[in-house]
Amino acid sequence: MTLAEQVQYQSATGALSSVWLLIAIPLASAAVLLLLGRKADRWGHILGCASIGASFVLGLWYFFTLRGLGHKAVSLDLFNFIQVGRFKVDWGILYDPLSATFVLLITGVGFLIHVYAVGYMKEDPGRRRFFGYFNLFASAMLLLVLGNSFLMTFIGWEGVGLASYLLISWYQDRPAAATAGKKAFLMNRVGDAAFLVAMFLMFANLGSTDFATVFNGVGALPHGVTLAMALLLLAGACGKSGQFPLQAWLPDAMEGPTPVSALIHAATMVTAGVYLIARSNPIFDATSLGQTIVVAVGAFTLLLGCVIGCAKDDIKRVLAYSTVSQIGYMFLAVGLGGGAYALGILHLLAHGFFKAGLFLGAGSVMHGMKDQTDLRRFGGLWRYMPVTWATVGLGYLAIIGIPPLSGFFSKDPIIDAAFARGGWQGWVFGLAALLGAGLTAFYMTRLFVLTFHGKKRWTDDIEHPHESPGVMKLPMILLAVGSVAAGGLLVYGGFTTWLEPVFGTTEVPGHEPNRAMMIGISLAVVLVGVAIAWLLFRRGTALVEQPARSPIVRAARENLYGDVFNETVFELPGKLLTRAAVFFDGKGIDGIVTGLAAIVGGSSSRLRRLQTGFVRSYALTILGGALVVVAALMAVKLG
Amino acid sequence: MNPVLAADITLPHINYGAIAPILILLGMACVGVLAEAFLPRTLRYPVQVLVSLVAQVAGLATIIGLALSNYAKKPTLTAGDALAVDGPGLFLQGAVLVLGIVATLLIAERSVERGGAFVAQAAVTAGSEADAEQARRQPSQTEIFPLSLFALGGMMLFVSANDLLTMFVALEVFSLPLYLMCALARRRRLLSQEAAVKYFLLGAFSSAFFVYGIAMLYGFAGSVKFHDIAVAAISSGKSDLLMFIGLAMLAIGLLFKAAAVPFHVWTPDVYQGAPTPVTALMASCTKVAAFGGILRIFYVAFLDSRWDWRPVIGVIAVLTMVIGAILAVTQTDIKRLLAYSSIANAGYVLTGVLAMQKDGISSSLFYLVTYGFTVLAAFGLVTLVRDQDGEATHLSRWAGLGRKAPVLAGVFTFLMLSFAGIPLTSGFTGKFAVFSAALGGGQTTLVIFGVLSSVLLAFPYLRVVVLMYLQEPAADAPTVAVPGALTSAALAIGAIVTLLLGVWPSVLLDVANSAAQFVG
Amino acid sequence: MHPVIPYVVAALLFGVGVYGVLVRRNAVLLLMSIELMLNAVNLMFVTADTSIVGVPRSGQVFTLFVIVLAAAEVGVGLAVILRFFRLRASVETDGVGAATETDAPREADAPRAAVRPDPDGEAR
Repeated sequence: MTLAEQVQYQSATGALSSVWLLIAIPLASAAVLLLLGRKADRWGHILGCASIGASFVLGLWYFFTLRGLGHKAVSLDLFNFIQVGRFKVDWGILYDPLSATFVLLITGVGFLIHVYAVGYMKEDPGRRRFFGYFNLFASAMLLLVLGNSFLMTFIGWEGVGLASYLLISWYQDRPAAATAGKKAFLMNRVGDAAFLVAMFLMFANLGSTDFATVFNGVGALPHGVTLAMALLLLAGACGKSGQFPLQAWLPDAMEGPTPVSALIHAATMVTAGVYLIARSNPIFDATSLGQTIVVAVGAFTLLLGCVIGCAKDDIKRVLAYSTVSQIGYMFLAVGLGGGAYALGILHLLAHGFFKAGLFLGAGSVMHGMKDQTDLRRFGGLWRYMPVTWATVGLGYLAIIGIPPLSGFFSKDPIIDAAFARGGWQGWVFGLAALLGAGLTAFYMTRLFVLTFHGKKRWTDDIEHPHESPGVMKLPMILLAVGSVAAGGLLVYGGFTTWLEPVFGTTEVPGHEPNRAMMIGISLAVVLVGVAIAWLLFRRGTALVEQPARSPIVRAARENLYGDVFNETVFELPGKLLTRAAVFFDGKGIDGIVTGLAAIVGGSSSRLRRLQTGFVRSYALTILGGALVVVAALMAVKLG
Repeated sequence: MNPVLAADITLPHINYGAIAPILILLGMACVGVLAEAFLPRTLRYPVQVLVSLVAQVAGLATIIGLALSNYAKKPTLTAGDALAVDGPGLFLQGAVLVLGIVATLLIAERSVERGGAFVAQAAVTAGSEADAEQARRQPSQTEIFPLSLFALGGMMLFVSANDLLTMFVALEVFSLPLYLMCALARRRRLLSQEAAVKYFLLGAFSSAFFVYGIAMLYGFAGSVKFHDIAVAAISSGKSDLLMFIGLAMLAIGLLFKAAAVPFHVWTPDVYQGAPTPVTALMASCTKVAAFGGILRIFYVAFLDSRWDWRPVIGVIAVLTMVIGAILAVTQTDIKRLLAYSSIANAGYVLTGVLAMQKDGISSSLFYLVTYGFTVLAAFGLVTLVRDQDGEATHLSRWAGLGRKAPVLAGVFTFLMLSFAGIPLTSGFTGKFAVFSAALGGGQTTLVIFGVLSSVLLAFPYLRVVVLMYLQEPAADAPTVAVPGALTSAALAIGAIVTLLLGVWPSVLLDVANSAAQFVG
Repeated sequence: MHPVIPYVVAALLFGVGVYGVLVRRNAVLLLMSIELMLNAVNLMFVTADTSIVGVPRSGQVFTLFVIVLAAAEVGVGLAVILRFFRLRASVETDGVGAATETDAPREADAPRAAVRPDPDGEAR
């Protein structure tokens, strides 16, 4: 988009003036489910599914209405939210092709997973509450993608975060779940703080966080400010989307129930970071350095996710690191800019289908195997769970990018576009993306083969694994159909043109003449990965963890030292700072008083008074503060 | 020297209408004292509660009346320019009273703790047989009501004082009753007495600095009126030295009351030791009053010299936010945790104040009210978690409350989320308002520190929530008292306002905005 | 004439008061030190009054206010300290610290042992 172009939103009329219903329906349902209590236990799950289904139907209606409009971006002001002096924020909605796409993904995939959860959570006494949280999540996520200002997005952003912590900690009796919930909260707070500062920068420089105002004004800002905004938004996006260096919470988040992993931590919420960057495209377009950093973060994270994914034995953890890595692809794409934004969103949609399908498949396997998650304890399941086998198989082929499944249409163009960046960056990022494709093929083949083929390695208490009930099978089948068809349909259905009003261009960077060659190369890499994994794992694997023979394996098992990294970078300084503050607040000052008293009184018996809370030590703190304030004022005045 | 003749002194004109709210409060406080002296014991409690609430509601009504009759737009000085009746003054007076009414509801509660949260006979030795008897049975003393009325009246005087001497008098008028109120806890009387001694000695120490600052400024400007000081500050030829020392000393007295680092040291001990309803009153109303004074001094008397002092106060704001947040992380007692959180919150208000423009005033006013309601509700909930020794304030005792008392835990979680600044709570809108005002005033560093410290501060809040929901309750876990009607009302008001101002903040922001003009 | 001596004396008095607050542990003496600080302020008011021309003697009036408020403060302060003495049989402020940083819930309050001989209490 050229900077001279103005971003304009028309106000909504007709059908679209009721677009707020999308958010309100799941919210109302959540309120009913959570406030009514046990009375709603019998029909709570039906209401939960119905509300999200209703939103989906409405979403389709609005989608077709929007298609018929000439100007494809409408906004709807609801009411005045905050007004401080010249700052003004309205509750408002922006409905444009990008948000329409997300609405369909959230409500569509969300509806399927809600239905699946009816079966999955059947035994859980808190199923009603679960659906309440699920609906709450859906409405917050819809607010996130429908807000017409960064502040609205932020409110949804915090809302989805809240729902996510609640759902990660669902199994309260498992300490791991509680810890994971906390970790997710803390790491997200780091990202959220960056997002907040970015908003304050917008306020300070442009006086608003409205998308229209910010995007129209960003061109005139000094580059430093734009870069700071872009990097802060990136940090926020990294927190929510599990990108380096804030990736560590996402795999732990798999402690939640599987439908949660599928909906929140695979298909929708974790892609909010991609949405944020894509939505703020005018900001990122204005700073090429910022874009390069986004690309670098994406490329690095996608490799990191792949490498760790190869070393994990827990089926959900492998899928989680796979999610980290696939979102890395999306970051890489939206960082490339131009038409590649649409590629990122395309991959996001395709990923939403196949990853949700894979997670539901994993849940179905766990359902039949008494909640076993260890890959080493599966094997030979295809005979017992044919539907799960077929749906996971299709998702597997889709994620590794076998034509004509959706991953092929969404991932290959990204690799292509990365190479097209040119120069050393093109080579580095292109090769990273290519290598990632090979590794993805490797660990996904490993997962698939170990789960469904080879010998049975089940634990003794399992005699006859069973297929899941119909209410769980149906969503899996529909998502498998989506994984097969979505990519091709979207590409040939003019998806990039549909998003043109948002990103301003449809021109995808790529080596047109070499396209066939690129496809050949990447398919070859994928097939090599598949072949290696098949050769290694077709006979199964050892039942206990093997000693790590190389540092890479050891590092990968340790999550590439992600937790250690967090401890040193975030926790350690925090701890030191806390200790220092405690010291100076109490003991330090008190030590001085004790010393003073000892000097004055010449008595050492004072040492026994080494504790805080003395009036005199407090008075000394106050006096010290007073002297410093006076001295500082003098210094400012005279200096 | 000309001897000043008595005949030269003319009494200043006093606009009684404009200062009626203060007069009502102080007058009714005197009525309360008389009631205490002449009414039979059984009648005192209902009469005192009635007097207290009627005084505050009447005062509030008068304030609203004054605001509607355009005092906010056409501010006046009265009583020989000693009192200013202007937008911020009226807003702050109203805030003190609104929060005061809620705090009074907590103070008047008698069903949670049998006979009320206050000692029945302060003269009985703690720990003796008679003490156990009075703790078990006898109803609270009712002096607490006139004392709180005096304190609230003093605060109202404080926020509308237009010269330093009036300000000093008001400071003492609201501080002295508070010292006494801290000492009146029914249980853990030693802790409460110690808190009172500490608060009193340190308060007196800091007010000596305050009045020393007044003397300096009097020496500098030859007057203690804010307007004269402002004029003297811009006229050249006077030594600034006196002015800056005076300002520093003055600021110390005010920052002490506002609990800003490094003048915060008393806060945790006093908040912990004082009876919880009194703590709630101090955390909400005293904070409003202290910042009312800070706003008026900075915006009226020292506006033109702001370039010199703003960096220094800015450093204090940063320290307050950061140290308050860090130390909150290490606390193991819920009241001390809330105390450190209130220190950090003082930093956020200070950030808003330092914007030094109209937004700064309105956002600080807004923040004070939002924080006040949330903290009142939080302390109100603290009063409900009890074991046989009274309130169970140690955090480990709160484990598993989410299962025992889902409603209490739910409301407390909501309040914690508000403190943490999660959107759709007043904590978010308030922080958003002060930070964006500070950015508008060019205080980017402050805002960055503010955001960082608010992130940090989310951890201790989260810890409480995690503790309540994710840990097994101990075998001898405290019980959760059923709140009486008064506490229920206070909690409901606090929580509802927290939600309301989070979703629809313009209700109050508009008022704060139209009030944000000091009379000079 | 600029009255240097009274200002210096006032500053010294204030300093002595501050010093007293910092090193005394007897609450009554602490209170007296604070009074000393207030009296330093009174001296300053009166001194400043003489060097300001053409204004009614407001400084002297302020002094009266400060004296009255100081008296009120002493009243309340002695009351608080007296209560404290009744409970603890001591007015030593260094003991006023047990309140802080208690990690375990406090034991039920018990009166400290009867009047404790306090050799450190005076004349530091």
